[in-house]
Amino acid sequence: METGRRARGTLEQEVVAALAAAQRPMTPAEVRDQLGGDLAYTTVMTVLARLSEKGLVTRKRVGRAYAYTAIRDEAEVTARQMQKLLDARDDRAAVLSRFVGTLTDEDERLLVDLLRHAEGDDQG
Amino acid sequence: MTLPLLITLSVMLTFALVGPLLARGLPPAIATRLLVPACLVVGASAVWALLTVGFTWVAQLGPVSRYGDWSPEQLRADTPFPTIIAVGCGLVAVGSVTQAGVVGTRRVRRMIAVRNACDQLGTPGSLVVLDNERPDAFATPGAGGRIVVTTGLLRALTAAERRALLAHEAAHLAHRHAWWLLATDVAAAANPLLRPTAAAIEHAVERWADEEAAKAVTDRRLVARTLARTALLTRASTVPATGLAASGGDVPCRVRALLAPPPRPRILPLTVVLALLITSAVAAATVQHRGDQLLDRAGAAPTSQPTTHHHHKR
Repeated sequence: METGRRARGTLEQEVVAALAAAQRPMTPAEVRDQLGGDLAYTTVMTVLARLSEKGLVTRKRVGRAYAYTAIRDEAEVTARQMQKLLDARDDRAAVLSRFVGTLTDEDERLLVDLLRHAEGDDQG
Repeated sequence: MTLPLLITLSVMLTFALVGPLLARGLPPAIATRLLVPACLVVGASAVWALLTVGFTWVAQLGPVSRYGDWSPEQLRADTPFPTIIAVGCGLVAVGSVTQAGVVGTRRVRRMIAVRNACDQLGTPGSLVVLDNERPDAFATPGAGGRIVVTTGLLRALTAAERRALLAHEAAHLAHRHAWWLLATDVAAAANPLLRPTAAAIEHAVERWADEEAAKAVTDRRLVARTLARTALLTRASTVPATGLAASGGDVPCRVRALLAPPPRPRILPLTVVLALLITSAVAAATVQHRGDQLLDRAGAAPTSQPTTHHHHKR
């Protein structure tokens, strides 16, 4: 699969997302394997170093390499504000661009069908 | 004056009827960029024409006619609109402007509140990870908004799917979708007839972000799968009857569009929108021109009582 070139900020976000999804610290090699083989090891290293400088990830030495973890609880108060946004059912929620809307039962059936279709085609 | 008024209003009605079709017939980015201004122009033209008609009655009131230095009798004789029509038009126009103002103000205030809430969180445009099991993702308003994703969703998606999700949310920020939606909602508040079109535009905005994501990851099917899986995950974990915002659009429809080839611009819907826009603006301008002529004629007629001369400028 051709994956296209990423902008610098996009790659940083993908790395943070990968680290946050992982339940344990990851080495640069692991991060690179997750994000796809077209990335150079040095690119991943550079991004991780930059994120570490910005204080968005922490690192600790594991053997000869560093292992990185995404920082979770940077600002408790603001994080709580975001949680509130997540639960907002009023106008505040209306100004957020949510990735997906709510589904009806019919939507759910349709989606399961479409998904099966798409995945079947992928394998075929 | 009656004819251009009727033209303005029927263009508005036509637009309200065909708007949703036009939105679906155009590629989403073009649909948004074209139909949002169209909603505003068509809506504003109707309001402007109605205000002008309303003013033909207001201008007959004593203080107003004295200030404008025209004859209310002459005006009453010349105007094609019976009082009840003129008053009705004026009230509808004022109500519509008020409604737009109320909804617009409230929405902007919410946007500012959300913006302040994320001021200290990350940097503009950055990804904010929330430690929460419930799968959810959204972008906060503005070009400097944040992309917020829960750990629950990040863990459930593959690396490729996460990339598609981030690209979708980044497109919302990069193209300032919050502002397009604000304009749409204000237009729909001013004119409830435009609500179906506004809903179609909201859907187009989501589709726009989907198409941008498909371009970024060069894989439409991947974006389709990410959408479908996220929607199903979200549903599975959500307590029923949480009235989440309606934004996020019609997911099956978005998935189907992504499984089909990318949409291409078509000439017909483009022509229809442009024709409606021009007709609407010209007709509304004509209503105003005729209204001015009416006042000019009434101004030329001898006024019932001599007054000092004020030159009324409109």
